[in-house]
Amino acid sequence: MNVIRGFATTFKHLLEEPVTYQYPEQIRPFAERYKGRHELKRYDNGLEKCIGCSLCAAACPADAIWVEAAENTDEARYSPGERYAKTYEINMLRCIFCGYCEDACPTEAIVLGHEHRLSFTNRKDAIFTKDMLIDPVPEGGQATPQKVEPGVFTRAIPDMEDPK
Amino acid sequence: MTNTVRIIINDQTYDVPAGMNLVDAAKWYANDDIPVFCYHPKMEPVGMCRMCLVEMGTIEKDRATGQVVLDENGQSKVRWMPKLQTACTTTVSDGLVIRTQTQQVQDARQNVVEFLLTSHPLDCPICDKGGECPLQNLTMEHGPGVSRMAFSDKMRLDKHVPLGDLIFLDEERCIQCARCVRFQDEVVGDDVLAFHERGRSLQIITNSEPGFDTYFSGNTTDICPVGALTTADFRFGARPWELTEVPSICPHCPVGCNISLSTRLDRDFGGKTLIKRVMPRQNEQVNEIWICDKGRFGHHFSRSEDRLEDPLVRERSGRLFAKSWTDALAAAAEALKAAGSDVAAIAGSGMSNEDLWALRQLLAGLGSRRLGAWPPTHAGAEVVAQVGVGQGTNLGQLGRGDAVLVIASDLEEEAPIWRLRLKQAADRGAFLLVMNARPTRMDDFAAQTIHYETGEAVQALLALKDSDAWKQLAEAHNLVIVAGAEGLSLDGSRALAGAAANILLETEHVGKPNSGLLAVLPGANAMGLHYLGFTPAATLDIMQNPPKVLIVTQADLLLDDPTAAHWLAKVETIISLDLFASGLTQQLAAVALPIQSFAERDGSYVNGERRVQRFYTAQGPMGQALPAWQALSRLGEQLGQGTAKLSAAAVMVEIAQNVPAFAGVSFKELAKVERQYPDVGGKDLYYGGTAYRNRGGLGIQIPTAADQGQTVARFEAAADEPPKTRGKLVIVPSVRLYNRERTFRPSALVHARVPEAYAEINSADAKKLGIQDGDTVEIAIQNAPALRVRAHVNGGAPKGTVIVPRHLSDTAAPLAVTVGEVSKAEG
Ligand code: SF4
Ligand code: SF4
Ligand code: SF4
Ligand code: SF4
Ligand code: FES
Repeated sequence: MNVIRGFATTFKHLLEEPVTYQYPEQIRPFAERYKGRHELKRYDNGLEKCIGCSLCAAACPADAIWVEAAENTDEARYSPGERYAKTYEINMLRCIFCGYCEDACPTEAIVLGHEHRLSFTNRKDAIFTKDMLIDPVPEGGQATPQKVEPGVFTRAIPDMEDPK
Repeated sequence: MTNTVRIIINDQTYDVPAGMNLVDAAKWYANDDIPVFCYHPKMEPVGMCRMCLVEMGTIEKDRATGQVVLDENGQSKVRWMPKLQTACTTTVSDGLVIRTQTQQVQDARQNVVEFLLTSHPLDCPICDKGGECPLQNLTMEHGPGVSRMAFSDKMRLDKHVPLGDLIFLDEERCIQCARCVRFQDEVVGDDVLAFHERGRSLQIITNSEPGFDTYFSGNTTDICPVGALTTADFRFGARPWELTEVPSICPHCPVGCNISLSTRLDRDFGGKTLIKRVMPRQNEQVNEIWICDKGRFGHHFSRSEDRLEDPLVRERSGRLFAKSWTDALAAAAEALKAAGSDVAAIAGSGMSNEDLWALRQLLAGLGSRRLGAWPPTHAGAEVVAQVGVGQGTNLGQLGRGDAVLVIASDLEEEAPIWRLRLKQAADRGAFLLVMNARPTRMDDFAAQTIHYETGEAVQALLALKDSDAWKQLAEAHNLVIVAGAEGLSLDGSRALAGAAANILLETEHVGKPNSGLLAVLPGANAMGLHYLGFTPAATLDIMQNPPKVLIVTQADLLLDDPTAAHWLAKVETIISLDLFASGLTQQLAAVALPIQSFAERDGSYVNGERRVQRFYTAQGPMGQALPAWQALSRLGEQLGQGTAKLSAAAVMVEIAQNVPAFAGVSFKELAKVERQYPDVGGKDLYYGGTAYRNRGGLGIQIPTAADQGQTVARFEAAADEPPKTRGKLVIVPSVRLYNRERTFRPSALVHARVPEAYAEINSADAKKLGIQDGDTVEIAIQNAPALRVRAHVNGGAPKGTVIVPRHLSDTAAPLAVTVGEVSKAEG
């Protein structure tokens, strides 16, 4: 009797959809809150959200982030504020994907995305630079640095809307 | 001692000196930090911000009997004032009672902070002050946490106002405490900032042209209690908490200001440690909590493009080739061996004591004692060693009843912080007498000014006895004479130092603190040169009788002296140890060895007040450069002079054993610190500003002969013969603080402030020569290429004299007083 029940179960499952994902051909959808590789965000006009404040680096428990800042000018503008990140690096070997950097960021510039394929063969490659982290320029936006009209960006930090 | 009074702070009784400010007394004696914004311990209180409100009262006394009235519990009765009072405008008095922690006080503080924040932007994430900001800290400690202010009603003001080339103002951040305005007015005496408008539209403006025209502007960024004032140099360089603080000594002038180098790793500097900013480090006897803008912004040379990075050897073809240290040292050793004892050395005043000792040992090993000090412009160090200002001198203590005589020096340009401190001494009531052949900035602060004929400083000093000023000097409680060498030959400056010393001896102003001689010697370690046996007289001898091999260390002979090429032509081999690749190294050196600047290694300097002070390794090294002591000691090893020393500290041990002046000095002793008043640089940045607390050492002042109780004989002080002009003009070199020296030129942000090369010509002479203000003129002296400069005919020069500031162009200006011809240049 037990033998029959066993075979029945086996046959039943033979007819069911498999639960195995054929990674990498098949990728499982991520939970919205999954914390993968960081992305540095841009505004719609292409300017970078990051203002180079280093608060993410200060919040990071693993000391994984390195920021060096510089000043924007209207000739070469990277961010809408006075300051931008000249160097922005995250050492992915140190990062524990806790998301504290995201919490600390006053401009919502750094967001942990869904990218999880983070293998490297060499320790140096584990250091992700700004070019690797920053989002592509959105459609209709311009790459940075931008040349802008004087008098448009006069705030030290762009006014932030209430976070939605 | 001063009288003390008894005050009560939060029910505890304290005895504090009478006349002390209440905020200071509470902090120093009761460890009670009364929050302040506008009050600063180095300035007069103004009571503008109301942050320091406390409950205040006095112990009640019976009018008739003078007895303290007791309440029913037998406690003395306090008559409380009906409202809170500002602590900063209160001077302690007997029976003063305050409470600083009650609810009423806390509410008041909370209200003041809330009120200040109504017009303050939320810039903290990018503000240079964020992380070391008094407003941030006091908001965290006393602020309300929420604001009743509607965000949309916030002030919108200009956020990027350059006040001159060095300082930026953010109008929104300013809380109108007037610390910056008062600093410029009270402490510096350059009244270039002001309040503009009234009420909520009140703003800081600069009223000078060019803007913020002063040598001390950077200090306002330290004492500004918010990030309203930021320096162009540091702007966004790093967040304060990311910086490592390294104690150091300013390498630019004889004051020897204690500084902190704030360092951080930097991608653009190859991932090495880099100086991000220079900050003052408290040393009340040297620079208090101030530094000048040259010290603050003049660090870029330490990593300039022109730095010599590899050892170079000149091949037969005449070209320099990079070599390994071993090969370069071998080449140098070979040249030295061939020369036997026909060797001499010239050392610049930026060399540390350890470097100088190693150089002296190297030459001793070769049998030579020809040790020249560079530049050979000022004698008098030997006089300072005997009757210099006494041990424990603090210029900040000079005041009523004291006298200061400044002669033959443009102190503002040569030693800015001495000028600042002596200006304040004059404000406190010291009699300040300024003597020079021409008007200088110091005249503005002087009680009396005497102008003598060019070159006749000694005569003028000797003639003082018959003047009205003499009584003031002779009877002064303390007397400091500050002697420079402007307009004098080397002999003349020696005679001047001697004549000044004689006055001090005669009036018994030697061998005690706050009295004695200060010589305005050039460079950071001119006294070190003296104590280690390097003299300007030896340099003159080297110029006249050139040796076969000349070792030149950190001295820019070609750029300093227009006749250098002429006399150096007779030297067979030049071995140059230099920071820079241009100049002497490139043109004449047979072997060039790269050495490290003050920023890259440990060492010590002796400042003009004979204080041995230690600096520490801050910045990553440039190329293969080594500390000079190490390069020299390895060269000695090659020559069989024993094994090379391993550390600067070990060299100092040897100096202490061999040079009596350094007895008892060691790196450990130099690093000792003690609590200094006022207590700045702690957590409470609102009190003193962001100047650093001294953690690197206060240094050790070398005693003078007079301090040690030796009788000092009177000095030879024969007046110098005035130069024979034979119809020519006397050319007097002068010093400008901002110039084009290789140690300052790389600081590009100051370029706009470096004057175009000029010469001051008297209007009578100019008229004779057909020269007008603004003309280009050529100055010709013997054995030197002509110097082209702009003529200034505006009352700066006495008749028959042309004042030529050194280091303003790439052609060397005369090094010493000389005679020459001035002619109008074509085109
Ligand atoms: S996720 Fe956490 S560990 Fe990783 S960089 Fe951000 S703060 Fe650091
Ligand atoms: S990512 Fe955000 S927190 Fe980090 S430096 Fe940029 S703005 Fe600041
Ligand atoms: S700029 Fe700074 S120091 Fe000057 S008044 Fe404003 S807050 Fe005070
Ligand atoms: S006064 Fe002299 S020692 Fe002090 S910071 Fe200025 S240049 Fe340096
Ligand atoms: S009113 Fe006392 S500190 Fe400002």
